[in-house]
Amino acid sequence: MAGSSKSTFEVTIVASDRPVWTGRARSASVPATEGAMGILPDHEPVLVLTSKGTLSVVGEDGRHTDFPVSEGFVSFDSNKLTVAVDRCDGGESQADR
Amino acid sequence: MASQLAFKSRISSTSALAKIFNAQEMIASSHIAKARKVALDAKPYSDAIFEAVQALVAHADDINHPIVKKNEKNPRVAVLALTADRGMAGAYTSSIIRETETLLDKLDKSGRQPELFVYGRRGVSYYKYRNRDIARTWEGDTDKPGVERAEEIAGTLLDAYMAPADKGGVSELYIVFTEFVNMVVQKVRVLRMLPLELVPADDAAGAVDSPRPDEAEHGMTPIYRFEPSADKVLDSVLPKYIQGRIHECLLTAAASETASRQNAMHTATDNANSLIDELTRKLNASRQASITQELTEIIGSADALNKEEE
Repeated sequence: MAGSSKSTFEVTIVASDRPVWTGRARSASVPATEGAMGILPDHEPVLVLTSKGTLSVVGEDGRHTDFPVSEGFVSFDSNKLTVAVDRCDGGESQADR
Repeated sequence: MASQLAFKSRISSTSALAKIFNAQEMIASSHIAKARKVALDAKPYSDAIFEAVQALVAHADDINHPIVKKNEKNPRVAVLALTADRGMAGAYTSSIIRETETLLDKLDKSGRQPELFVYGRRGVSYYKYRNRDIARTWEGDTDKPGVERAEEIAGTLLDAYMAPADKGGVSELYIVFTEFVNMVVQKVRVLRMLPLELVPADDAAGAVDSPRPDEAEHGMTPIYRFEPSADKVLDSVLPKYIQGRIHECLLTAAASETASRQNAMHTATDNANSLIDELTRKLNASRQASITQELTEIIGSADALNKEEE
């Protein structure tokens, strides 16, 4: 995979009591307060408030992973997506989906 | 020299105590790994929030949010002391109380009126016993504070901070807590939580001692686009930031409490064991002395009998 670092970006999902998931992704969809928002590599730096909903991430290998999240915010800069939410259920059994 | 019986009873009572100390130490060490993990687990979240706040500050030239703006006129300040629920943790609570007293003195002298908030049964009973005014107390779970507890404390303190001065509002918030450096070193720290010093502090005026390593030079911050708007993001992120920081303080304090308890109990076990050794030596010496005395008496009387027969 030539230039894999260009076509993917780093994702870090953290809840207030624990880190939930870290990895590389091809794309992500976040439940922003004003409608869902898709994120692809090299997106412009944004800081978005999110509402309760589902965060989906398409991993490096093309697998979909869904995270039910509560209110929080998402920031994206220099190809790094950081999702900080109050609470996030699941995240452990995501690998085998 | 005391009787052998007295030594024996002291040895048995000391070894019973040693067993208790040892058990306490083992309980503490089983808790500490957990407490440390919880504390480390919460760090990425507060780091993420911190970065977001930094980005907001870099974006907006002049943030007028009350959490950032200092209200100089109001002399009332809040002090939150994080102490332990239970004792047997060495100097944990007393160091916190000593540091809190120093801070209160300092604030008093600079013409401000500190209001005391205490978390932890030991600290509460210390101040209640001395009939000191406490604004609000929380008890329980100091060794494993959850997010809910942090929400409660942060909510109360933010309410006090946001309230107008004539309704009992405060203009600053200090937190006295114990920082977990490692298993053997825990440091008492005073942190000025509110108002936030977001901009590279020009001279850190008013900050008693608030070293925040993560607030150091942050390099270039990218220019963000904010959705729905920078103000709304600020309104939502700043209280979260405060809550996250308070939670972080609670968690490091809990890890420190468990670590000091383990250290204290380890020392107590060691002391009990060396006391037992010393007492056993004395017991042996006293037993040997009594045997020697009996022998001398027997030999002496045997000699006397032999002489009579000659």
